[in-house]
Amino acid sequence: MEVRKNKIMVENLCKTYHTNSGDHEVLKDISFNVEENEFLVLLGPGRCGKTVLLNILAELEEQDSGKIIFDGGRPEMGNIGLVFQKYALFPWKTVMGNVEMSPKLKGVDKATRQANAQEYIDLVGLHGFEKHLPKQLSGGMKQRVGIARAYATEADIMLMDEPFGALDAQTRYSMEDAIINIWEKNKRTIVFVTNNVEEAIYLGDRIILLSSRPATIKKEYKVDLPRPRSYTDRAFLELRNEIVANTDLDV
Amino acid sequence: MDSKEVKKWYYVLPIISILMFIVLWIFLSIPADSMIPSPKETWLRFADICVHPISQAILIVHIWSSLRRVLIAFAFAIFLGVLLGVGLGWSKTFYSIFDPVFELLRPIPPIAWIPLIILWCGIGELPKIIIVFIGSFVSIVLNTYAGIKDIDPLIINAGKVLGANKRQLLFEVALPATIPAILAGIRTALSSGWMCVVAAEMIAARQGVGFLIVQGQQSGDTALIVACMLVIGVVSMLMSTFLSKMEGVLCPWKFGKTK
Ligand SMILES: Nc1ncnc2c1ncn2[C@@H]1O[C@H](COP(=O)(O)OP(=O)(O)O)[C@@H](O)[C@H]1O
Ligand SMILES: [Mg+2]
Repeated sequence: MEVRKNKIMVENLCKTYHTNSGDHEVLKDISFNVEENEFLVLLGPGRCGKTVLLNILAELEEQDSGKIIFDGGRPEMGNIGLVFQKYALFPWKTVMGNVEMSPKLKGVDKATRQANAQEYIDLVGLHGFEKHLPKQLSGGMKQRVGIARAYATEADIMLMDEPFGALDAQTRYSMEDAIINIWEKNKRTIVFVTNNVEEAIYLGDRIILLSSRPATIKKEYKVDLPRPRSYTDRAFLELRNEIVANTDLDV
Repeated sequence: MDSKEVKKWYYVLPIISILMFIVLWIFLSIPADSMIPSPKETWLRFADICVHPISQAILIVHIWSSLRRVLIAFAFAIFLGVLLGVGLGWSKTFYSIFDPVFELLRPIPPIAWIPLIILWCGIGELPKIIIVFIGSFVSIVLNTYAGIKDIDPLIINAGKVLGANKRQLLFEVALPATIPAILAGIRTALSSGWMCVVAAEMIAARQGVGFLIVQGQQSGDTALIVACMLVIGVVSMLMSTFLSKMEGVLCPWKFGKTK
């Protein structure tokens, strides 16, 4: 196997919230690496601190202690892609308006940014829906917009926070295929958060298993299954059982 | 009843309700010493003031005088109200400075300002415009402020992650997200502004629908009073319908019809 360089190095990250009801330790000594162009999955039970961790990576929040080292230096705001569980689309903007938002904020001229946005709209399979408003789209389509919008930042790191968590099972399966397809066509470093074991194994090159709150790293799994993977494959099921046995699925 | 019949019923009921209202009205106007003009008298008086001027102006000119005051006051109320509302909602410092004063002045009914404002500005156009301004400004500020406070924090985070600086976060993300709330404020402001202009005109004016009502009172012309009251109601209804249309145009993502 080729040796890939590390894109992100997370070292001893800690975060505690001080609230009226006392101190909530959310992240405890989290360390891991993300390799370039890797599909890394962070798997953890609900409310364990996954969103907080991603928000810190995206610079929306700050850690109490610990370091995050990016290959090539910390990207500026607007140069990391983030996909939200609840889509967080701008409801007043069309599909095109949402996808071209980041280059627009960065001052890219209209023709260039719309041509680029169009490529990502096509990539996520929304050709023909450019003028639709988010409220006219189904959940799965909304999340496709969310993915296209993140890709259009042209960032090489994509953070995805339970992007399919709000979708029904059927849509979820097709979105899992879609994201692998997108990633294979347009390779980027993906950090994908989920609380679903099957989803983690279906998607990830590597899975980092988190404990319940405060999140610590329990174990790391390398998924050496060829793609496209199958939920009923024997190796798949064995890995699944192994991970489930180690998981604090206590929610 | 099946649903089709129920639906028909919902069309018939308003008609019955209005007919009952007119019957009651006729009934109350029958006694010889009644102070209530009959629907027929009211209608004739209405038709009369449409063509024959009172105080050198026919009805439509009076309506326009009132409407013009409301619209001028409105332009200022929207501009300053949105400014203050956004300031209160967006900046903690701004809020700490201006909110106490605003909270103190806010509960004073606009009409209570009339005497003071007439003393300050006389009886020209300005005092009426100021009173309408006071009456509409408050609800625009309150709705804008609530709208800013109501923005989904996820939307703000999305703006930040996509690279919006502080100014862009306000103008490209927060303000568009607040437009429905501002429109709701304008809706409330329009009806309270319309009430205020009539009140202001009843105290001092030479034109306007409020002035016409006072004319009716001074000459014991109850048909004129009732005709003008109905005109006030109808104009307000038309404005509200117009606003609903505007909401669909300005804000299709919130009010527009979609499948
Ligand atoms: N701003 C905050 N203030 C206080 N507590 C917070 C804050 N943000 C998150 N938390 C707490 O941190 C814990 C983890 O939250 P989160 O990262 O959203 O979980 P999840 O793993 O489901 O994404 C939760 O218990 C939550 O209450
Ligand atoms: Mg979460």
